[in-house]
Amino acid sequence: MSAVARSVRPFASRVLAQKPLTPVCRASPAFRFPRGTRSFSQSPFAQVKKYTESHEWIELADGGKLAKIGITEYAAKSLGDVVYVELPEPELEVTAGEPVGAVESVKSASDVLSPVSGKVVQGNALLEDQAKTINSSPEGEGWIAEIEVNDAAELDALLDESAYKETIDA
Amino acid sequence: MLPWRWLSPLPGLKNGIRLNSSYALHRFPELARRPSSRHQIYQSVSTDPYVNLSIEHFLLENAPADSSILFLYINRPCVVIGRNQNPWLETDLRALHNDRTRAAREGEAALYVRRRSGGGAVFHDEGNLNYSVISPRTSFTRNKHAEMVVRALHRVGATSTSVNERHDIVMSQTEASSSDAMEHVPRKISGSAFKLTRHRALHHGTCLLDSPNIRDLGRFLRSPARGYIQAKGVESVRSPVANVSAALADSFFSMQGVMGSVVEEFARLYAVHPDAVLRAQRAHANEPEIFAGDSWVAGTVGEAQSEQEDISKGITELRWKYTQTPQFTFSTYPIDEGPRERPPLPISLPSSTRAFLRLKHGAIIESHISVSSDPSTASEQASRMHQALNGQKLHEFTLARWTELLRQGLGATEGVDDALLHEFAQYLGGLLGESSLFAQHFWRPERDLPTSSPGKCKAAPTQCLEPGRKSHETPYFTMAEAAGVFAAKTDVLEMVRSFSCVCYR
Repeated sequence: MSAVARSVRPFASRVLAQKPLTPVCRASPAFRFPRGTRSFSQSPFAQVKKYTESHEWIELADGGKLAKIGITEYAAKSLGDVVYVELPEPELEVTAGEPVGAVESVKSASDVLSPVSGKVVQGNALLEDQAKTINSSPEGEGWIAEIEVNDAAELDALLDESAYKETIDA
Repeated sequence: MLPWRWLSPLPGLKNGIRLNSSYALHRFPELARRPSSRHQIYQSVSTDPYVNLSIEHFLLENAPADSSILFLYINRPCVVIGRNQNPWLETDLRALHNDRTRAAREGEAALYVRRRSGGGAVFHDEGNLNYSVISPRTSFTRNKHAEMVVRALHRVGATSTSVNERHDIVMSQTEASSSDAMEHVPRKISGSAFKLTRHRALHHGTCLLDSPNIRDLGRFLRSPARGYIQAKGVESVRSPVANVSAALADSFFSMQGVMGSVVEEFARLYAVHPDAVLRAQRAHANEPEIFAGDSWVAGTVGEAQSEQEDISKGITELRWKYTQTPQFTFSTYPIDEGPRERPPLPISLPSSTRAFLRLKHGAIIESHISVSSDPSTASEQASRMHQALNGQKLHEFTLARWTELLRQGLGATEGVDDALLHEFAQYLGGLLGESSLFAQHFWRPERDLPTSSPGKCKAAPTQCLEPGRKSHETPYFTMAEAAGVFAAKTDVLEMVRSFSCVCYR
């Protein structure tokens, strides 16, 4: 009966009403660098991408302070269609291994754990309206949070790409 | 190593039953955390959804990473929405209670709760069994435990049950005597939801065994504000429901029997020690007890646990039920992000009346509320209103608060009198309030249907769930029709109830 129609309409109009995409803010050194710079142990210019056993990735931008966090291709695939992403608020202090967000897919709520400690700069606003981006580009456009890391050396303890691949193949 | 507290003589010593130990209830957290407690089976003696959800959450967070746990509980009437849902959109808050202690005392309305797992809104009552399985994430699949429950249901004779593609359990109706085509549609008897953590997977599900509310539980899940809301987050998928008991011809069926059967199937799936099964099967609601062997814990838990620190913390956390709501807008007129037509305003309000709210974490962050037809006056009204509304939590608004806020924002304008303010407050409160605040607006046929015929709708326009459906001057049910409907067809009653007023001639 009409209850069905009523539950369909809002979705349809939401699709119609989608705002133009908020431009994704890329961490560009020109804008981000000035906060208390500190040299990163090995190479200050290379981007560093690391992984956790709980299937998150973290990529440290040039300058060694700002990092993006997301879930891996493997995690996105195994979770299935993502329908909602709980994004962290700016200024939220996170500790390594504690939730920095959560995703819902196929009636499952899963925490996204922060690989390192730091302070949230922003959540990815694109995901507010387009949660599915996590499925289409989990390690790109579908990043979940940008954080200012407390100590870039914390990344050293995380898995590199090949070590992570081993954990999922095992 | 735990100190063993032997009871002497042990009640289970005869018939060659192996020794295992009874523990005081306050030892529950310690036993649940014990690294060797690989299998745990509990039944709750509490019907408080807050207590049960929090015991469950405690087990998810604290039991050993390699353990498998079965937790069975039955809640008092309540509506439980998913982690990322909107209560203003998914429930009829006017039929629900916010306050768990008041709900327990007054008993009439159902309690409103938000759980930590995903998925949609469900209704619980004393005829609904909740099963919860917490297991290592590595060996978990979404159907594993729904299939376990289906095997348990088959054991008690409900052989037409199966798991569907949404990981829910449905029951086919082929044996039903009715020739009605609707009767052949598989009906949902159990809904699943999941919470995944780093090492653990929680799967919990409802199971409608013998709900006395089966005919009209939908009324709790229909929002009067649905036509006005544009929300992010997760929407429920509506399904026709049935009781498992409807498929069982004999009266042999019992709640305890199904619980026993679920315990058996859980034990088979995880190769649980027979002593644990025996203890779990004998868990009696009136004698809360916990037993443990080397590798297992089994027994009853309940209110006693709600006092324990970790679990009472979990209960406090569930106050998030409004503030966890994903962003949404409520608007009485089409807006850019929600351009669809809105239901018409009640005739008692000026046609220039506008109400728009944007909420984040359950608090108002943007608004436009005005009544004036003059744009500049309207914008002054809206800005005064917003000063009063900004940052306020919508769920805290009583009728008196709405009236006061509207007076602050609109009162200074010429032509705005107390009657209008009150009417506007009733309208907004009726769409957005919950029962402890707006109980008087919940329409009840026995109270609100008049006994003599002529006249127009007795319900105030604000009480009508679908004011746009018909003018209140134009009846769509005659008194006789309404009476006939109520007497004869309960499923139509459900439909009629969803409009909170019935107009009559």
